[in-house]
Amino acid sequence: MSTTDDNIERENELQGIGCSRKRKEDPRFIQGKGNYVDDIKLSGMLHAEIVRSPYAHARIVSIDKSEALALPGVHAVLTADDLKPLSLHWMPTLAGDVQAVLADEKVHFQMQEVAVVIADDRYIAADGAQLVHVEYEELPALVDPHKAMNSDAPILREDLVGKMDGAHSKRLHDNHIFTWDVGDKDSTDRAFDDADITVKEDMFYQRVHPCPIETCGCVADFDKINSKLTVNVTSQAPHIVRTVVSMLSGIPESKVRVISPDIGGGFGNKVPIYPGYVVAIVASIVLGRPVKWIESRIENLTTTGFARDYHMTGELAADKDGQIKGLRVNVLADHGAFDSCADPTKFPAGMFHICTGSYDIPNAYARVDGVYTNKAPGGVAYRCSFRVTEAVYVIERMMDVLAQKLNIDKAEIRLRNFVKPEQFPYNTALGANLDSGDYHTALNKVLDAVDYKGLLIEQQEKRANGELMGIGIVTFTEIVGAGPTKSCDILGVGMFDSAEIRIHPTGSAIARMGSITQGQGHQTTFAQIIATELGISSEDIQIEEGDTDTAPYGLGTYGSRTTPVAAAATALAARKIKAKASKIAAHLLEVSTDDLEWDIDRFKVRGVPGQEKTMKDIAFAAYNNLPEGMEPGLESIDYYDPPEFTYPFGAYLCVVDICKHTGETTVRRFYALDDCGTRINPMIIEGQIHGGLTEGFAVAMGQELSFDEKGNIQGNSLMDYFLPTMVETPHWETDYTVTPSPHHPLGAKGVAESPHVGSIPAFTAAVVDSFSHLGVTHMNMPHSAFNVWQKCNELGIDQHK
Amino acid sequence: MKVELNKVFEINGSVENTWVFLQNISSVASCMPGAEITEQVDDNNYKGKVKANIGPVTMAFNGDIKIIKIDPSKKLLHFIGKGQDTKGTSVAEMDLTAKVCTKKDGKTELVGTAIVNVSGKIANFGGRMMEQVADQILDQFGERFANNIVAMGGDAAAKEAAKILDKQPKELNGLAFAWSIFIGFFKKLFS
Repeated sequence: MSTTDDNIERENELQGIGCSRKRKEDPRFIQGKGNYVDDIKLSGMLHAEIVRSPYAHARIVSIDKSEALALPGVHAVLTADDLKPLSLHWMPTLAGDVQAVLADEKVHFQMQEVAVVIADDRYIAADGAQLVHVEYEELPALVDPHKAMNSDAPILREDLVGKMDGAHSKRLHDNHIFTWDVGDKDSTDRAFDDADITVKEDMFYQRVHPCPIETCGCVADFDKINSKLTVNVTSQAPHIVRTVVSMLSGIPESKVRVISPDIGGGFGNKVPIYPGYVVAIVASIVLGRPVKWIESRIENLTTTGFARDYHMTGELAADKDGQIKGLRVNVLADHGAFDSCADPTKFPAGMFHICTGSYDIPNAYARVDGVYTNKAPGGVAYRCSFRVTEAVYVIERMMDVLAQKLNIDKAEIRLRNFVKPEQFPYNTALGANLDSGDYHTALNKVLDAVDYKGLLIEQQEKRANGELMGIGIVTFTEIVGAGPTKSCDILGVGMFDSAEIRIHPTGSAIARMGSITQGQGHQTTFAQIIATELGISSEDIQIEEGDTDTAPYGLGTYGSRTTPVAAAATALAARKIKAKASKIAAHLLEVSTDDLEWDIDRFKVRGVPGQEKTMKDIAFAAYNNLPEGMEPGLESIDYYDPPEFTYPFGAYLCVVDICKHTGETTVRRFYALDDCGTRINPMIIEGQIHGGLTEGFAVAMGQELSFDEKGNIQGNSLMDYFLPTMVETPHWETDYTVTPSPHHPLGAKGVAESPHVGSIPAFTAAVVDSFSHLGVTHMNMPHSAFNVWQKCNELGIDQHK
Repeated sequence: MKVELNKVFEINGSVENTWVFLQNISSVASCMPGAEITEQVDDNNYKGKVKANIGPVTMAFNGDIKIIKIDPSKKLLHFIGKGQDTKGTSVAEMDLTAKVCTKKDGKTELVGTAIVNVSGKIANFGGRMMEQVADQILDQFGERFANNIVAMGGDAAAKEAAKILDKQPKELNGLAFAWSIFIGFFKKLFS
């Protein structure tokens, strides 16, 4: 009989679920031994540089590439006309639209791709790009989405004129993309008509960009002898890239190999397929040599997937006690020049229907209208599961507006409206099926931890003194883990994910997934899951991802879907192995499987001490001593189609002090409690939360891609675009509760995006609360010193009396 | 990105001389730091170029100048200059109206309104400095213009002015220029 000490020792040895195992990725990263796309150097490799438009909207009169072609070292200059015979001058987007690969007759946004120069090295390519002479005829630019559907608005997409059957709905104007709505409009309208009180607020969630440290790029290598194409690419979804490349190029998918090597952060920016990838691939096929294309920082910020750009109007109807009766949300979504939002096919506004939040709202209706403007396309999930950030922002802001109107405490109004623990699973009025939650416990724990009452008293005193102090509270519910294939697909491929595990004769293992890590630490955490499931030490389990020639098909990593989907596949694949292992153990121990019990890393015969076989013993037997009729080997594969989304939640509280003379905002305290269900690696969760909070801070306090009236992008370099460093970043306090997901094999829900989704409205709430006693109900982001000072100035409180 | 600037330069010379000089597009262009006319296409159309070093950025614009109006009765010149930088990343356009006037005290002045529009990289980077940059360019222009008129006279002052004109740098001097913008910016802040 093993002792408890022995058990603990064996548990520890596994380094399984629940332990803060150190990241296995870090040794190579901290030694500079990572292998990123730009580290790849192939013999004979050429370099691509893209010629881009200075105008936001212009007709291309002519392109003269003769001077560029004459430059020694330049191998080719490609324009839309060169791609036309291959039908590659336009490509389909994930959102059912098409997007120009190289501008075809017209440019639709500033820095749009017009031509590509392929040369011996990057310097020659850049020089060559300057020698491509493009003559433009400027057209009026459409910048303000509110004017997109005016009768006199310039028409952007001439290719779509007259085609009023959009990919998602009828189009109402040549610049209109879709209308998407959800909920019962009539019952919601009635709830508003009958309500004691209604509140309404307009808010703009500015255009931002994930700005990963590594920009996008690829190395395309077409092997003319074997007609095989290998593409090393910065992609969060390598299998989808393989499918799309095969569809576009006509090369059989079996002859396309896509590799995502180490990725320096994605945050959604590396989900779409960009023109740069396509031109590098075409150039490699045409020239028969490897071609590398790597973006500059400015190109990344200006032309690749932006996020947000939602103009939202939120409305709540409630009774006098603050009990919510109805929610109405209208959104004008600025999608830029092409609709290339990265969302599941049937969700043009992503998971925006989570905008009922954590609350029991009986009637709700939401409508989103997407329009074209002369801006770069995108609409990616910037560390958020498909428009959840926008949805959480609007409901959390409206909760505050309602509380303010009724003069009810902002924590109290949330406690009054939360979905109660006994109501789970809870179907929201907009069709989300919340799996589990305990919102009251979470918020109360935070209020106690920060001494909320004490903070309120301090705020009263400061206000009496003329000082500005704000307390922001957010209680968010996320929707992640896209998703059930019955409702979620990308280009027709269901959003399942996969894992394949092989146990070697000596008891170590290799596992491959359809997901791809970009900082999430999959190499570390997936091994922990298998360790706990199979009793093999994490150290003996290799995790591989990102090579489509070896990994099973998966939909990739974004939208916090990997723990809910790929990790579930991993657990289930391990359980298939365990089932076979139990039969082998029974055979070896000459008992029935019913007589066996599992104990950390071995099967034991129940009630017979010493009669046991470790997984290591079983692994060896799988290759030489099997029950009659059983096929050799010990491996399995699982494709997991989640039955439902998962719904992580949290309660955040932010305290700010604002200098009324300068508008400078200091985040004094930020307390973040997250509930992501079962916690696989607490240290990695902590790191994810710190990262998400920091990116949330960046968005709320400084990030913005704005445009002037001619469509010139303002602030597309790190001189202007705010990336917080150690200097600016506040101190984070984290906490947690654990409410497992009832339908996930491990009870895990996903976490990486919660801190981003939850923190952004918390910063806004705290900043607005600093002014709430002066009648302010909302202030748009970013809450830069300049913007906040303007509010102080408007209120006449910025000057010394 | 659009900036509108209104400028008044006092000219130490006659209204007639000033008006004569103003109608000579090549000469007027040479008053613009870094600019020159390279070709006269017809009576109203010219081709020209502007070169400037601003900080780390070197930009050379090739463009067309089109005379919209020359009105001798009002002594007014209106032209539009439009150009694309040779790297194809930026576009600039200046709509300039200049008028020669006599002040109450009898002195001559050149009254100008310039509407400057830029697109592309110059607008992305230079957006916030645009007004100061355009302001400084026009100040240098005004100074040179005034010297040219003085040089048209026959006295000692004319010789001195001619000397200054001779020494003037052929292109926009980056460092000195950046400094003048910097000074201008702070002057504005505290004015």
